[in-house]
Amino acid sequence: MKELDPLLHSQLRLAVMSILLSAEEADFVYLREKTEATGGNLSVQLDKLNTAGYLTIEKSFIGKKPHTTCRITDKGRKAMADYVETLKSYLTGL
Amino acid sequence: MENKQLSEKESLQLIAQMIQQTQYRLAKNAGTPFLIWGYMTAILSLVIWLLIRETANPQWNFLWFLLPAVCYPVTIYISRRNEQMIKTYIDRIIGQVWTVFGIAGILISGISMFLWHIPILFIILLLMGMGTALSGMIIKFRILAICGILGSLLSIGCLIIKGADQLPFFAIVFLIMMVIPGHALNHMAAKMSAA
Repeated sequence: MKELDPLLHSQLRLAVMSILLSAEEADFVYLREKTEATGGNLSVQLDKLNTAGYLTIEKSFIGKKPHTTCRITDKGRKAMADYVETLKSYLTGL
Repeated sequence: MENKQLSEKESLQLIAQMIQQTQYRLAKNAGTPFLIWGYMTAILSLVIWLLIRETANPQWNFLWFLLPAVCYPVTIYISRRNEQMIKTYIDRIIGQVWTVFGIAGILISGISMFLWHIPILFIILLLMGMGTALSGMIIKFRILAICGILGSLLSIGCLIIKGADQLPFFAIVFLIMMVIPGHALNHMAAKMSAA
């Protein structure tokens, strides 16, 4: 049986990718609120997903406030589709 | 939430839960762009109508250029101020719908002013009614969709009424088509946000 993508098979990273899968873009504060993660931990996990090319991170300013926007990439979308397919095969194999 | 590993079942549950939470929600002040364009168009129509009636000078029609000059920057300023924490595909589609209808409106207005005489008020009402109806259908807000369809249908009135007297009718249709659903949309968004 195919192995589950270890980058996605973690609660926080999977939650972030699932949010971004159904949204065009989401900002850091929104992701932190929805996942109830700490800012530091979320930041580290976003960097990992960004390094893997699963999402892009854009830093900007709205007025004087810093603003971080995350978007899923095509590679991330494909990884999520593969992940769900593998999950399905695991569950049907049970 | 932490970095713990999940079972297969828990993973699927988490994906479903997150997707459900991210479903489209009306943004606070979602109706404000409709109010800006609706009120400004209605006021400008009445001002131009009064000026043309008093002076019999059609050059007052050039005041229409005030509409995009004022409304575009105000709309952009307000949407930046109310920056949403999340943007869904629906937000993008609505933006694209209005970009297409906005470009069409400006193009037709320019052609009507400088090239050919075409029933511009009829065409603008038809276009903006279609844009409003589409927006209402996309976000599943019935009042917006109905008022947009009504605006498109009422555009025929501009073919029946002659001359500058089309302008007060045009203003009334804009109030029906954009101002009423704009207020309803803001009311609904405020209610959803409070809930």
